[in-house]
Amino acid sequence: MKDIFTGIFSKVFGFFSKAEKQDESAKDVAVNRLRVVLMQDRTNLTPELLEKMRGELIELLSKYVEMDKEALELNFEQEGDQMALMLSIPVLRAKEEDEIEAEENEDDENSEEVDDDTEDETDESEENEDDDEQVSEEKNSNTK
Amino acid sequence: MSGRVIVITSGKGGVGKTTTNANIGTALARAGKKVVMIDTDLGLRNLDLLLGLENRIVYTIVDVVEERCKLKQALVKDKKNPNLCLLAAAQTRDKTAVTEDQLKKICEELQKDFDFILVDCPAGIEQGFQNAVAGASEAIVVTTPEMSAVRDADRIIGLLEAKEEIKSYRLLLNRVRPNLIKSNDMMSVEDVVEILSAQLIGIIPEDTGIITSTNKGDPIVNDEKSLAGRAYNNVAKRIIGEEVPFLNLEEDTGVLAKVKKFFSGLVGKEK
Repeated sequence: MKDIFTGIFSKVFGFFSKAEKQDESAKDVAVNRLRVVLMQDRTNLTPELLEKMRGELIELLSKYVEMDKEALELNFEQEGDQMALMLSIPVLRAKEEDEIEAEENEDDENSEEVDDDTEDETDESEENEDDDEQVSEEKNSNTK
Repeated sequence: MSGRVIVITSGKGGVGKTTTNANIGTALARAGKKVVMIDTDLGLRNLDLLLGLENRIVYTIVDVVEERCKLKQALVKDKKNPNLCLLAAAQTRDKTAVTEDQLKKICEELQKDFDFILVDCPAGIEQGFQNAVAGASEAIVVTTPEMSAVRDADRIIGLLEAKEEIKSYRLLLNRVRPNLIKSNDMMSVEDVVEILSAQLIGIIPEDTGIITSTNKGDPIVNDEKSLAGRAYNNVAKRIIGEEVPFLNLEEDTGVLAKVKKFFSGLVGKEK
């Protein structure tokens, strides 16, 4: 009798722990991958363009808020017939007004250099935030 | 009489377009409709094989277009069903041998004498597709619950929506495997329908009977016991306008189900 109960218990427990541990099913993976690829097909928005958009959005938004850039998500989502571009921004804190102004001035100063090599545009702007101006300028000269 | 011209298309190859064409055509003919099937897959014709008519073809669609014969002379009658005809593709020519306008004209002429004109479309989205679609006002998009097939079906649906002549299209989900769907290894019917947001006209289960029926040149709708055959018959009924519920595909699948069925049968008898 005891054996039966422990057997049932381990089965039930096993079922739940399995359900928790289990990764996405092959079906869910397929559905999610298809959704993404179909959005790209339907809108002609390539992953490169999406990435570029992501970079530019980060650049723009980081003027106003400090955020977790790695965790920023830009994805397509479908609800029925409607397609939406969903942007999820993990905000750490909003910036002070004088901070924003200071950065605007900084951007003006750097704008000429940034135009020179557009590839590094997003990298540079990220670095401009964290480091001070001198360091970023050194890096610029290294890449050139 | 003004028959309905339905193109059967898929984008991706190997999802069962031609099998679908042969079976829906046969089912419609069995229901008493006059049906003609046009194989537009020039250079890669196969519909004749599926119907077991390969040895009866004298003239092809290219012969009609190039005026070596009259349209009626090129129609091959089915062995079993006098309501069913085939206009075969030429095996020795390529897709450029027939134009959109020529196909349109052929369809218009056939509409006078037939209830249904089923156009078997080649795989791809190039000229062959454009030709096949040219004369049609309805479409059946065949797909399977696989990513590549669904993606290609989405592309085809986009192209069909852009065509003014195509008034309606419906989705036929082929080679569905209920066991895999149950174990979450395959996309379900609902998943595919939601992703493509298209109206469904049929769900056909994967059936080994399709292989043997193809080998014999005898469409599976002629086998009333076959689940796939019944599913295709239901598609034909829906095309005619009947409301038929979708089959429960859970039955007849797997050894275990059969054993269970056997035992439940025994219990039933005892009572």
